[in-house]
Amino acid sequence: MSEEFSEEPILSIRNLSVSRSGEEVLESISIDVRRGEFVGLVGPNGSGKTTLLLAMLGVLKPLKGDVLVFGHVPACKHNLGMLGWVPQAATQLPSNIHITVRELIRLGTLNRDNFLWRRMTTEIRERIDRSLEMVGLREMADVDVSRLSGGQLQRAVIGRALASETEFILLDEPLVGVDRASRNSLLRLLDDLCHNHGKTILMVSHDLAAVTQATHRIVYLDGGIQYDGPTEELPDLSELANLRGIEHVHSVSVPSWDEIITEVE
Amino acid sequence: MVIGSALMHFVSPILESIAPFVPGEVFPYYFSGLFQNSLVAAVMVTAVAGFLGSFLLVRNLSLIGDGLAHVSFGGICVGIVMGSSSPLWFALVFSTVAAILIFEMQRTEILTGDASIAIFLTGFLAFGLLVLRLYGGGITIDVEGFLFGSVNLIDEQDLDLIVFISLYSIISLSLMQNALLATTIDPLAAQVQGLPARGLGIFFSVTTAAVVVSMVQVVGTLLVTALLVTPAATAQLVGRSFRSCLIWTQVFGLTSVILGIYLSAEMVAPTGAMIAVVAASIFAAVGVYRSIVIPLLRPGMNS
Repeated sequence: MSEEFSEEPILSIRNLSVSRSGEEVLESISIDVRRGEFVGLVGPNGSGKTTLLLAMLGVLKPLKGDVLVFGHVPACKHNLGMLGWVPQAATQLPSNIHITVRELIRLGTLNRDNFLWRRMTTEIRERIDRSLEMVGLREMADVDVSRLSGGQLQRAVIGRALASETEFILLDEPLVGVDRASRNSLLRLLDDLCHNHGKTILMVSHDLAAVTQATHRIVYLDGGIQYDGPTEELPDLSELANLRGIEHVHSVSVPSWDEIITEVE
Repeated sequence: MVIGSALMHFVSPILESIAPFVPGEVFPYYFSGLFQNSLVAAVMVTAVAGFLGSFLLVRNLSLIGDGLAHVSFGGICVGIVMGSSSPLWFALVFSTVAAILIFEMQRTEILTGDASIAIFLTGFLAFGLLVLRLYGGGITIDVEGFLFGSVNLIDEQDLDLIVFISLYSIISLSLMQNALLATTIDPLAAQVQGLPARGLGIFFSVTTAAVVVSMVQVVGTLLVTALLVTPAATAQLVGRSFRSCLIWTQVFGLTSVILGIYLSAEMVAPTGAMIAVVAASIFAAVGVYRSIVIPLLRPGMNS
């Protein structure tokens, strides 16, 4: 696989240090993500996963070092809107709103050029339909988002990121609050987006089993980067199991896709 | 500004033609004659308030209207003491400045939640009351009009301000409704998509401040929330999508204001209070229907 990846990294982090409320959470982190990769960013609670994500989004400014998204500083005019952000759906959507799946996904088509005056062109309508199709919610397009299950809600939020037609998708803990069957179908969706739709994916999770099951490459963060390499070569899981906050490590077995598909169906 | 009379030039003949079919003894005067301005102002303000209120509700900012209304009252007191013929302009300045400061305090997390609203509400209200007592005549009839509403006293000059604010708000909110919805649902995702979250937030705060000021004469400082939040909250009980909620908000808001004016005119009761009572009653009726009547009719259904 790896020889197919193009050489120019779309995310390049060099010697990054970030501090939050005066305390240095990340120190000298370097990561490159290339086009077409599916990377899992794992680590115990408090290891700085979220901080790293916020630095990639440009919400937190680096203390030292650089973050380059598509070759530029995050959230500058050259790469604005080129990144798809998928928050943890269950905790991010306000509960006091009635909004349909289609309305939610349509919000993903907004960007800084069209947010004031946007004509509903057939191109945009098709893009929304395509996103609904990809996340498997076509039948539920007109259902109120508050009626969705955890897994469906997470799919809807992924659909919103897809509607912006970005090729690089960041996901923050997408498997929290999602039952086991939906978890596997979500992982299959991400795998499909990466392999068949050319998306580059970076998924933050503390669920090591899930990440091992789906990704090509794992970055293990705890203080600094403890491991960065192919998922198959991740060293000694029992050693990682001693670290706090990691779930399911003892039960890690990597099922084949066929097994997962039968389980879902 | 002549925007108010320009609008009346078009609306007036329409209202006149409806007047013969309007029931009641006093209510027809809202369609032909004396109180035309009042009706037009009330309907416009209600339409805008409902639209804005739908966003306030989702943003969990239901009480900001109340807060800014009290700040406006502080401004009105200062305007009255300074002998201004149109103290609402003072209210507009006070309310806009407070709205921007509240937004920035919440954004920079100097104060989270409602605390900043509470501080501005009491601070400006107290300031206004002090100024009024020390340098003015205290709570006069004029001042009471701003507290409880004085829809029948809306003159050409007031109408100008109300129509100007309403048109500005309707046009700008329509243009930005999708962007506002996106920043409301998930500010970070909207920012990542390239929407100017801070700019939209400031725009929204300023618009809220202006709309609140335009409502002060219709329902009064104390009752602004009745038109800002109640119709939108009622719509949440029946709507199934954001768009349908926006439409239901208009149905409930306009029903409240027209029924409220009718009842107050015929019963010689205060208009602002009547509108607020009607709006709350509609909410109660819809709530009872949704939570008691529908489950009784369909015993098998869970929701």
